Amino acid sequence: MFKKKKRHHQVLPAFGLSMGYTLVYLSLIVLIPIAFLFIKAAAISWDDFWSIITDRRVLASFQLTFSTSFMAAFINAIFGTLIAWILAKYQFTGKKIVDAIVDLPFALPTAVAGIALTTLYAPNGWIGRFFEALGIKVAFTPLGIMIALIFIGLPFVVRSVQPVLQELDQQYEEAASTLGANSLQIFMKIILPTIFPAILTGFSLAFARALGEYGSVVFISGNMPLKTEIVPLLIVTKLEQFDYVGAAAVAAVMLVISFILLFLINFWQWRISKKYETV
Amino acid sequence: MLLGEGKMGITIEKVSKNFGEYKAINNVYLEIPSGDFTALLGPSGSGKTTLLRMIAGLENLDSGRILFNDTDYTNKAVKERRVGFVFQHYALFKHMSVFDNIAFGLKVKPRHLRPSKEEIKEKVYDLLKFIQLEHLAERYPSQVSGGQKQRIALARALAVEPDVLLLDEPFGALDAKVRQELRHWLREIHEKLKITTIFVTHDQEEALEMADTIVVMNEGKVVQTGTPEEVYRRPVNEFVYRFLGRVNEVNGRYIRPHEVSLKRAPLGESFPAKVVHVHFIGSTVRIQLTRLDEDILFEAELNEEKYREIGPIAKGEFVYAQFTKLVDFDFQQKVKPLPQKESVL
Repeated sequence: MFKKKKRHHQVLPAFGLSMGYTLVYLSLIVLIPIAFLFIKAAAISWDDFWSIITDRRVLASFQLTFSTSFMAAFINAIFGTLIAWILAKYQFTGKKIVDAIVDLPFALPTAVAGIALTTLYAPNGWIGRFFEALGIKVAFTPLGIMIALIFIGLPFVVRSVQPVLQELDQQYEEAASTLGANSLQIFMKIILPTIFPAILTGFSLAFARALGEYGSVVFISGNMPLKTEIVPLLIVTKLEQFDYVGAAAVAAVMLVISFILLFLINFWQWRISKKYETV
Repeated sequence: MLLGEGKMGITIEKVSKNFGEYKAINNVYLEIPSGDFTALLGPSGSGKTTLLRMIAGLENLDSGRILFNDTDYTNKAVKERRVGFVFQHYALFKHMSVFDNIAFGLKVKPRHLRPSKEEIKEKVYDLLKFIQLEHLAERYPSQVSGGQKQRIALARALAVEPDVLLLDEPFGALDAKVRQELRHWLREIHEKLKITTIFVTHDQEEALEMADTIVVMNEGKVVQTGTPEEVYRRPVNEFVYRFLGRVNEVNGRYIRPHEVSLKRAPLGESFPAKVVHVHFIGSTVRIQLTRLDEDILFEAELNEEKYREIGPIAKGEFVYAQFTKLVDFDFQQKVKPLPQKESVL
């Protein structure tokens, strides 16, 4: 089933052993738990399954989760790239601190982040009051959910793009400028295509993370069914009501959609890089 | 054929640049006439690449001026200089096909100057024909060889009809045979286009073989400027002499290996020497010897004719060597003062 594709000599001849470990590890940690999820969901009839997942409240939460996650990942792709650009291309005082701050969302317990964001963006909070004056509600709306998801997804884009930008050879930009290209053209035609696969990687990681995010969102969303209830919360709610089958059904659908989306993004990325990577 | 008016002379006036404490370029004055094929020759760290990049505008100057046909270009942006720059490692855009690479300079022109799609296509195919790589138009840079990459890089630079062509160690990354081919090819292109061309090299053979004018650089300064024959036959100092060919040093004086004469019997001021090694390099024979009277290693080079005259020489044999034309730079400098180092032209 798993064979090495080419039989060229390798210095470290441990394919069999390392592949074996990989399979066992992946099975124990990822595949078996997921398989159980599907087994659990399969315990009910198709009609029951269909009525669970087409429930208005469930559909609304799917729509909310995917749209806010997508928007958050999209915004992160833009601003994360900007931050990566600053960190990779310029020297400035306090750069190390900025670099460390980027990782904070990784380290901070998500509940802490959620409470902090809610406090800030609540109608009477430090930032929320300014939005309130403009008639925009942030906390307890999809907008608030999106902000929490942007927060937790930021490091993924920065850390994917930054090393690629650092490795970027100056000579391509120089070649483009001697050929008459202006700064915008150099960025759009030379730099962006080179870093785009890395941006896509960061985007899909941030998107995947946002889909499963629970801790930081539950505080800022307000959890109103049909309005601000995300899928992970709905699953927890079902579990608390001992509706294990319902929870498994919703989770299974969530998993399949996520898998398809991530697969498509990766396929796109593979298509781009295949075109001009060294053969 | 591909270029309009390529008449562009370059003047470099008292240009200096430091990288921190290090003087990369130290008060350089240089005039490059229009249509000339100039080599900037020097060891690594001599400032030749920095100087080339300054002409392109890729490097700022600390002081001095750079003029293109009497117009001050010192502060002109790179994209406005109309220079074609060819990089040592080609710098082809990996995500673009060969066609798109060559078309790049045309496609980024401001809208009112940009040729139509058909015109771009025609021009790119003209260039591809010119470099004899029409069949590779749709390939990506990763799918062509090093020599082809460098030809594509040159076509890309020529597409925008530059006034000056600058090449930074253009053949440095290629193997010996391809390098030889490309040297001839580049020279031919220059004959056809007559575009002012400056290339950087650390290979004296390459400079002697290709250039109309050689600018020898060392430690950020221009040491000598002249035709290949001038710099080879009348080097202004020890550095140039040593850099332009193989050298035997004899008590502060110098002689090239091919000027050492070997005899079987003593003659005049000859001295005995023992053969240490004999190398056959194509048509020349390079022989390493030790002087018996002073125990110094030296080298002699014989062409086929001379080697036949003296007969086969084997390791361990004894011969008599004569240094007839020893060059003495201290002596020369005392006798006739040399022109100023910085302003040779």
